[in-house]
Amino acid sequence: EEWNVSLWGKRRAFTEHVEKLAELVSEKTGGEFTLNISYGGLSKNRENLDGISIGAFEMAQFCAGYHRDKNPSITVLELPFLGVSTLEEERKISQALYQHPAAIADLARWNATLLMPSPLPQYNIVGVGDAPATLADFEGLSVRATGGIGAAMGAVGAVPTSMSATEVRQALDSGVVKAVAFAPHAHMSFGTVETGKWWTTNLNPGTVNCPVVVNTDALNGLSDAHRDALLGSVDEALDYYIATYNGATMDAWGPTLEEKGIAQVTFADTEIAAFKEAAAGPAAAAWIADNTARGLPAQELYDFVTGMIGQ
Amino acid sequence: MEPIEIGLWVSGGLLIMVVLGMRVAFAAGLSGMIGLIWIFWAKKDYGLDDFGWALTVATKTAGQVPHSKVSAQELSLIPTFILIGYLAYYAGLTKALFEAAKKWVGWLPGGLAVSTVFATAGFAAVSGASVATAAVFARIAIPEMLKIGYDKRFAAGVVAAGGTLASLIPPSAILVIYAIIVEQDVGKLLLAGFIPGVVSALIYGALIVGLALTIKGFGPPVRGFTWGERLRALPPALPIVFVVVAIIFFVYNPFGGDAWGTPTEGGAIGAFVVFLVAVYRGMRWTQLRDALMETAKLAVMIFTIIWGVLVYVRFLGFADLPGAFSDWITSLTMSPMLILICILLAYAVLGMFMDAIGMLLLTLPVVYPAVMALNGGEFVSAADSTFGMSGPMCAIWFGILVVKMAEFCLITPPIGLNCFVVAGVRPDLSVQDVFKGVTPFFIADAVTIAVLVAMPQIVLWLPSQI
Amino acid sequence: MAGHSAILEDGSALSRLDRALLRLERALALLSGLAVFGLMVLAVVSVGGRNFFASPLPGYVDWIEQAMPLIAFMGIAFTQREGGHIRMDILVGQLRGRPLWAAEFVTTALILILMVLMVWGSWAHFARSFDFAAPMWSRDSSMDIALPLWPAKLLAPVAFSVLCLRLCLQLWGFGRAFAGNLERPVAVPLVQSAAEQAAAEAETVSNGEG
Ligand code: NA
Ligand code: NA
Repeated sequence: EEWNVSLWGKRRAFTEHVEKLAELVSEKTGGEFTLNISYGGLSKNRENLDGISIGAFEMAQFCAGYHRDKNPSITVLELPFLGVSTLEEERKISQALYQHPAAIADLARWNATLLMPSPLPQYNIVGVGDAPATLADFEGLSVRATGGIGAAMGAVGAVPTSMSATEVRQALDSGVVKAVAFAPHAHMSFGTVETGKWWTTNLNPGTVNCPVVVNTDALNGLSDAHRDALLGSVDEALDYYIATYNGATMDAWGPTLEEKGIAQVTFADTEIAAFKEAAAGPAAAAWIADNTARGLPAQELYDFVTGMIGQ
Repeated sequence: MEPIEIGLWVSGGLLIMVVLGMRVAFAAGLSGMIGLIWIFWAKKDYGLDDFGWALTVATKTAGQVPHSKVSAQELSLIPTFILIGYLAYYAGLTKALFEAAKKWVGWLPGGLAVSTVFATAGFAAVSGASVATAAVFARIAIPEMLKIGYDKRFAAGVVAAGGTLASLIPPSAILVIYAIIVEQDVGKLLLAGFIPGVVSALIYGALIVGLALTIKGFGPPVRGFTWGERLRALPPALPIVFVVVAIIFFVYNPFGGDAWGTPTEGGAIGAFVVFLVAVYRGMRWTQLRDALMETAKLAVMIFTIIWGVLVYVRFLGFADLPGAFSDWITSLTMSPMLILICILLAYAVLGMFMDAIGMLLLTLPVVYPAVMALNGGEFVSAADSTFGMSGPMCAIWFGILVVKMAEFCLITPPIGLNCFVVAGVRPDLSVQDVFKGVTPFFIADAVTIAVLVAMPQIVLWLPSQI
Repeated sequence: MAGHSAILEDGSALSRLDRALLRLERALALLSGLAVFGLMVLAVVSVGGRNFFASPLPGYVDWIEQAMPLIAFMGIAFTQREGGHIRMDILVGQLRGRPLWAAEFVTTALILILMVLMVWGSWAHFARSFDFAAPMWSRDSSMDIALPLWPAKLLAPVAFSVLCLRLCLQLWGFGRAFAGNLERPVAVPLVQSAAEQAAAEAETVSNGEG
């Protein structure tokens, strides 16, 4: 049995759980069940859910913010200033949300079953030009920020622009955006640290949610042994992912900033509180209103997620 | 059957359909569709009940490709670049360029031919298509050269060769297509074409001067222009400068500040400037409508090939043929430079029979990963690489080489499109005449390609500034 | 390699249908040309807004992505009618009479098979992004300003359907030419010699040249 897996870009910290999963599954089934990972050959990243729905491949990764209308339920985890502080917490809350009936039903429209998250740390901003000292300096700054982070930046007067990660470098080089919100691994692998002049250490406006899903029919069609091998490997794959991210990636981050001479901007607590005040409440309210209109139990999802924070 | 074998069979089928005269876009799309059906059906061991499933999955997979692939911001450069070229005629830029070139470099041995080359190079800065450039200059430059006694075959050859410069010097539709297929930075590729384009023009110019000095009665220089006349010849050609500045500054600011925007915006601003000049010079709605219709026709032709070929490429992704081919290339024991030269020669042969866009689109999905693997991989550093340049730089270098090969094919028999066009414009010239006249330029092109292979810095210096 | 072709006309039903469809195809192609013009204006507005008013056009990239299918698909049938999709005609160029019409009929039929499947596939792509129950009927949205994607996705099956009609007419035309062993049939693009093509090419680029 061979499954095709559609990822994109190149192998990086963000894809290590899928690589690990492939290794574990093959090991446990004595090579009878293999995951054949393709980086970009099977689909465009924004169409991975379409491919799952069609049945063109059996497993795929995508980010909720690429297409809000395709997966509204899980965009709740992209709301700004939720207060998630570690990768472990992000993982725990994501896994719980993925079991919520509303999320299951949402993804079932694509014949998809949520398998595991790709927990990412809080985003922060790398930018060119003068470093902002206060929130007021964000006024009019064009920044690449998707989903809830974009909304948060908009709330303090910045101009958020969305583009996929692969287009970011050119946009920053050419002045289309002056700043980019990414997780550290992406700042390194998409080259923003090459031209960036400053980095915000504690803005922590939020993160994106990028699940790995499987085609439901294919999952149901697995023999019990193969399904157990797959589902039984998820936790170990995620442990490995988080260890890699907290280890190698974060270890490389500080020295990278030093080496490239990037100034580290730290905002005062009062500034952060003011930012949260301006961004968090309105964004959450808007999200709840929009998604209630769409027929989701939006308030319930929001309470479900926020109720788990810090627990 | 293994996916890779399916990949080979279907690719063979595609070749046959293309040779039999099926329109390239649809031959590629159909091959991709058949390949996808085959691969999905093979996955279910060809069960009779499973054919319907395979057909459905393949059709829906292929059905995503057109919308998914054409909705890319970078691709909007193609129609914009085509539109600039059409508007430039109405803005009177061709004549202005030729007059200016004649007054400034006409005094050289073979002066009028050199002027023609430089004027086509200047026009290349607003035109994204070689064939159009050759057609226009056949009307303007050939009569003047004949009037002062040039050999008519050589006059035609100069125009056919000069026309090819349009695809190296930005804007260039074909460089954009290359960038899209190999997923590299469009802006850097466009910049990279600039110096090789100028080098090509200079080598053409040097060749003409050399010929004029050795052949008696080649064609007299045109002298006697005053500095006042020379300066007065410049303003009508100024919009060209605007377009060049717009495109360069929108990709990279030579004065060290931020670039002004994206290449997409630069192309559009350039088109807008030329549009304003054309309106100022009296362009009417019917002419604008014609320009828009012609742009639409050429654009849809290119986009249909793009999505048709990408359906085939999607199938190749499932068959993993590019991976297999690059494994094979890297396993060869020949020297990598020799392999690269063989690849370029293969393009020269293929280009004799195929048009440039179709040739690049069909071959690059397989050839490009192999060349990158040869250099040490897509993300290799310059220090660890085979050709002494990083992965992205190798992509740019190979792109310029391949485009120069494609341009070379526009003037080689039996299907040198530029030569056909020039002969078409001039009823007194046969295609054979033009092919004869253009022969010296083969040498110039061979020299240019050798120079670009031996000295990659010529290609890479400008893009490495950003 | 293929440029424009002469298409003959007469009073037959086929030719009348050809010209009726041509009116639709022309209108769609002009729409595509106007979209190119719109793209240019959009860029001027975006750059102007960013550099002179410090207010970038929100969702500029999303709007371009919405306009691209308009440019890329709408003229597809018009271009097929004129024989404008490139091909390698070294071989077909040598054929005359029945062998030529047979070859044209077969390749046109193959294109029709592909395009019928593409109508189905691109319609399915549209259908996955469309939901009557959702706000703005949208089940798939753009990244930046969340524009619904279904209108742009719908353009592909629409344009491809028009192409299918055109291909049916061409099959009729080539079939008729084969059956009657016609010299110069109506309503189909006729293979031109390289010289004829080049002359036509030169004609289009030099219209109104100053
Ligand atoms: Na050009
Ligand atoms: Na040729």
